[in-house]
Amino acid sequence: MNLASLTIKALHQRWTSKQLSAVEITEQYLAAIDAANPTLNAWTTLTAARARQNAIVLDKQRDSGDLRGPLAAIPYAVKNLFDVKDEVTLAGAELFSQRPAATEDAWAIQQLNRSGAILTGMLNMDAYAYGFTTENSHYGACRNPLDMARIAGGSSGGSAAAVAAGLAHFSLGTDTNGSIRVPASLCGVFGLKPTFGRLSRRGSHPFVASLDHIGPLARHVEDLALIYDQLQGHDPGDRFQSDHPVNLVSTQLGQQKKTLKVAVLGGYFTQWADDQARAVTAKVALALGADHEVELVDAELARSAAFLLTASEGGSHYLNALRDMPERFEANSRERLLAGCMLPASWPMQAQRFREHFTRQVLALFEKFDLLIAPATPCAATVIGQQSIEIQGKTLPTKASMGMLAQPLSFVGLPVCTAPVRTDNGLSIGVQLIAAPYQEATTLEAAWRLEQNNITLQHIF
Amino acid sequence: MDKKIDWPSYITQMSLLLDLQLEEPRQAELALQLARIAEIAAPLMAYPLDERQEVGGVWKL
Repeated sequence: MNLASLTIKALHQRWTSKQLSAVEITEQYLAAIDAANPTLNAWTTLTAARARQNAIVLDKQRDSGDLRGPLAAIPYAVKNLFDVKDEVTLAGAELFSQRPAATEDAWAIQQLNRSGAILTGMLNMDAYAYGFTTENSHYGACRNPLDMARIAGGSSGGSAAAVAAGLAHFSLGTDTNGSIRVPASLCGVFGLKPTFGRLSRRGSHPFVASLDHIGPLARHVEDLALIYDQLQGHDPGDRFQSDHPVNLVSTQLGQQKKTLKVAVLGGYFTQWADDQARAVTAKVALALGADHEVELVDAELARSAAFLLTASEGGSHYLNALRDMPERFEANSRERLLAGCMLPASWPMQAQRFREHFTRQVLALFEKFDLLIAPATPCAATVIGQQSIEIQGKTLPTKASMGMLAQPLSFVGLPVCTAPVRTDNGLSIGVQLIAAPYQEATTLEAAWRLEQNNITLQHIF
Repeated sequence: MDKKIDWPSYITQMSLLLDLQLEEPRQAELALQLARIAEIAAPLMAYPLDERQEVGGVWKL
């Protein structure tokens, strides 16, 4: 039996009932990763020794009556920008490969440790998290399990590919401009980008501090909700974290009886979606009873503003290294990062001022609606190396454009769950389920309803 | 907007300010990147924000 066919709850139950040991589960996953990864290229670091040691300890604890948390004996992996004790945090870049190993796990990983999850390794990504395709020039392109000739999306490409391939029950990614939602969309898995500030980012390599989020990816909504609950909690060491109270969502799934008031985002979000993306969005709209279309006025400017903040803040992190060791930068990103260091200060300032203005406009929509929906990507996964995409007669650069429908929403910081839908040609496009701030329960409830009604893509193992 | 900008001169001055030494091919690539960003920035900079509009405090949603 392929353990990937089980939900987290079902696999955990097999462990607690002693049908399976954590050692058996871990060995099965490590062998599967070993067989698949040379082609898939999702893992850039394996933590096999740590995983085996964790498994032995977990089994002993279970046998002495300590069942740990709800993720006990569940294998997972993290984007290679989360600190993992005794491993080097690569952030997708050769630049960091000689740096000292991390001295402790990232805060999110510490939470998962307490819950008993088993870390198998660290996952491929775009260098510095600056990209939407995970065609990493140093560590190689990560492939899409739905079609190995195609991109996994990015920047959390390895995180989506590992889960879609059935090699991890879940993963952690980060999302600055769409880096969870884009690969989740293209690989056909669920991804949750919580409200900005909801989860601690401590111990993750920053890209754009004023836009970075962390979040989980999984094949089932109940899994996603369970992981999200384990990641919640106040971390005094993360000054960007909100003090909003913890709201455990996994027990709320399926409990909301009320009809959600749902609207489809038109305008920009339709204009830049190909026919397949429009079709999957229409399918989701019908299933959720969306009977309104609304427009996010100035969504294109929001994307521009997010781009300017990204260029400026992202570039500034690297100015010293760009001066001292330019030869060690990835060619795709070096001058992009440097250009960000040279912008007039008034540009990112205008972007931050516009952010507040735009946010107020967007939040007003939630006075009438519980949920807004839009495609997560303009199209399905492109072939690795494909430089451009064609959207409604316009030719756009692939690397810059895969996130264009995700960017305006992370710019505001809204919680979004991406629900994958199979396209006519057998690929996947995710639909963004967008809720008001801190309403992660609403976005997950909508995703759960879609999954229950077989609207979303299912992986068969 | 960017058609009127002398990007090589801009890059020369910014390189002095930021203490950077850039070879010719990198300057050329940088000019392309800056021109592209300037094109993206132009409509945003033209947006008539209220003069009392403050920066976003998104973490206090």
